[in-house]
Amino acid sequence: MAKILIVEDEKSINNLIKLNLELVGHTCLQAFDGNTAQEIFKNGKFDLVILDVMLPGVSGFDLITDLKDIPAIFVTAKGGLEDRLRGLRAGADDYIVKPFEILELVARVDAVIRRTKAVSNSFEFDDIRVDFDCKRVYKGGEEVLLKPKEYDLLEALIRNRNLALTREKLLNIVWDFAYEGDSRTVDVHIQKLRKKLSLEDRLKTVYKTGYRLEV
Amino acid sequence: MRFWQKTYIFTLILFLVCLNCGIMSLAVYTYRQNVEATEATVTAEQYYIARSFERDYIDLTNSGGNTSPTLLMQSYGSHYKDKGIFFAFEKDGKTLYSNFTQSCSVNDNTLVHKKLDGKRYVFISSGLCDGEYRFVFAKNVERLDEEFYSLMLVYSLTALAVSAFLAVCLFFILKRLSVPLDKLRDATRRIEGGDFSVTVEEKGKDEFSLLAKSFNSMLHKINEQVTALETDSEKKQMLVDNMAHELRTPLTSIQGYAEYLEKAAVTEENRILAAKYIISESARLKKISDILLDTAYIRGNTVETSPVCVSALLNDTVERLNTKAQKCGVTLLTASDDSVVDGDATLLSMLFCNLTDNAIKACRDGGIVELCCTDKTVTVKDNGKGMTPEQLSHITEPFYRTDRSRSRAEGGAGLGLALCKQIVASHNAFISFESRFGEGTEITVSFTS
Repeated sequence: MAKILIVEDEKSINNLIKLNLELVGHTCLQAFDGNTAQEIFKNGKFDLVILDVMLPGVSGFDLITDLKDIPAIFVTAKGGLEDRLRGLRAGADDYIVKPFEILELVARVDAVIRRTKAVSNSFEFDDIRVDFDCKRVYKGGEEVLLKPKEYDLLEALIRNRNLALTREKLLNIVWDFAYEGDSRTVDVHIQKLRKKLSLEDRLKTVYKTGYRLEV
Repeated sequence: MRFWQKTYIFTLILFLVCLNCGIMSLAVYTYRQNVEATEATVTAEQYYIARSFERDYIDLTNSGGNTSPTLLMQSYGSHYKDKGIFFAFEKDGKTLYSNFTQSCSVNDNTLVHKKLDGKRYVFISSGLCDGEYRFVFAKNVERLDEEFYSLMLVYSLTALAVSAFLAVCLFFILKRLSVPLDKLRDATRRIEGGDFSVTVEEKGKDEFSLLAKSFNSMLHKINEQVTALETDSEKKQMLVDNMAHELRTPLTSIQGYAEYLEKAAVTEENRILAAKYIISESARLKKISDILLDTAYIRGNTVETSPVCVSALLNDTVERLNTKAQKCGVTLLTASDDSVVDGDATLLSMLFCNLTDNAIKACRDGGIVELCCTDKTVTVKDNGKGMTPEQLSHITEPFYRTDRSRSRAEGGAGLGLALCKQIVASHNAFISFESRFGEGTEITVSFTS
């Protein structure tokens, strides 16, 4: 997956972002102030930078001008429209306001990477390969036929792998907001996925929460 | 219509009226004088001719010639005709001689102006040779009218020239005089457009320059106010930004780690790390809310005061912070007289603890913090890193930190000095800061009671 530099002076938040992004398969580098970040810019190569605005040393708005082709996401407590606009005009690809939800962070990072990086758009684990472009799933080299909703569910679980998704969240992502089905629908589709791809060990039920694909 | 244009038109009209009235009355007066002079001449001439005629007639009669007075009159008439003087000679209402082209009757001894053939004559008549004859005399006074008309022509031309000259001069003078007004108007327009940097020229000592002066001083005042308001709102915006940052940062951590614990398959090590972060960030939030509440409470309530012994407070402070100071390698010293101040012991203790704590944080290993009290004035002095004047001007602002990352790492909220300021204010005391970068800081709190 992607190599991401996290520039955030608040140690707890820096670690939080790192832990979560590593869960979904990214590799992370950390910088705790503007000057260190500038040093890392010169030497390292990465696919994405997550930037705080209020930084000791050099501010996020100044740092972003040093990044030329590398996409950047601002993570900041300044949530006003003026600040968002300023951030986006400065060249940021996205703008996340604190406090944020983990799933939101993961989704936005994913979106920016998909938009800016020509990654091999597929995911492999065990003997299963999922091709996101063609929406096809192979197991042991043979294609497994999934219904559209089953495929969508699998993709959502892969994109948020190692994170538990509630049934409501899955309903939101896979079906849509307007869908009035109950959470049993999710359970039924999960059962089918487990059966078709023999995912009993990977696709876990998390007590009182939902489902998690552990890879 | 503009002021200078109005002034111009009214002045010009007034001037023209006065000038023309003056010239007219002058002309009429001159004309009257001329008429009177002419009339006097006419009377004199008539008298002279009448007497000379009488004398000639008597001479002729005495010399024995039967001379008809008509003949004599004829010779007189042809002689004077060239000089524009005409006669008529009557006896018992019958005209004996006349060189008038038409007859005319006049009363005796009265001057009468009449027009004959479009020409003006002055008539006068009188008795002749003891009333035997009547003598009518007329003189051409065309000259009078001619003079009057030429006089009027000269006067009118002069008036026209003077008026034109005045009109031009007045136009430029008034236009020039109204320039400061135009400038003032331009300035107000620019201010209307939001440009407060305008100044109006203050030349001379007339009303316009006085107006310009007061206008400038007004503008200066407005400028100051606007700047003050802008600074104020900037400060408030800063406060809101800082507050948002300070509250959202721990909230983000707490929410994030809680979610992480809920959603992720965590290792034991990461579980403990997440829990630790949740606890420390909650503590930070608690600290901020405590201080904010304290500050609000102190601001909203009058402090209940009782006599407090300062030296006891300082010793108490040293006792509390000694462990921390020793850990940092800092020595705490106290020197106090027996000053007693009116105040709330808890709040004052909070104040001195905060100041001393800051001093310890500023010191390196081997630093010294001195707490002194003389005559109700407490000083907290350290030989730590000090502050720049720029930093010094911000330190009592809420959430301001001279060294952000370090202060956070030590669990500071950036509210300590804001709270101290509030406590000091509630005790009617004064606090002042003195600092040299690299040499240390000295804080002085002076109590008034």
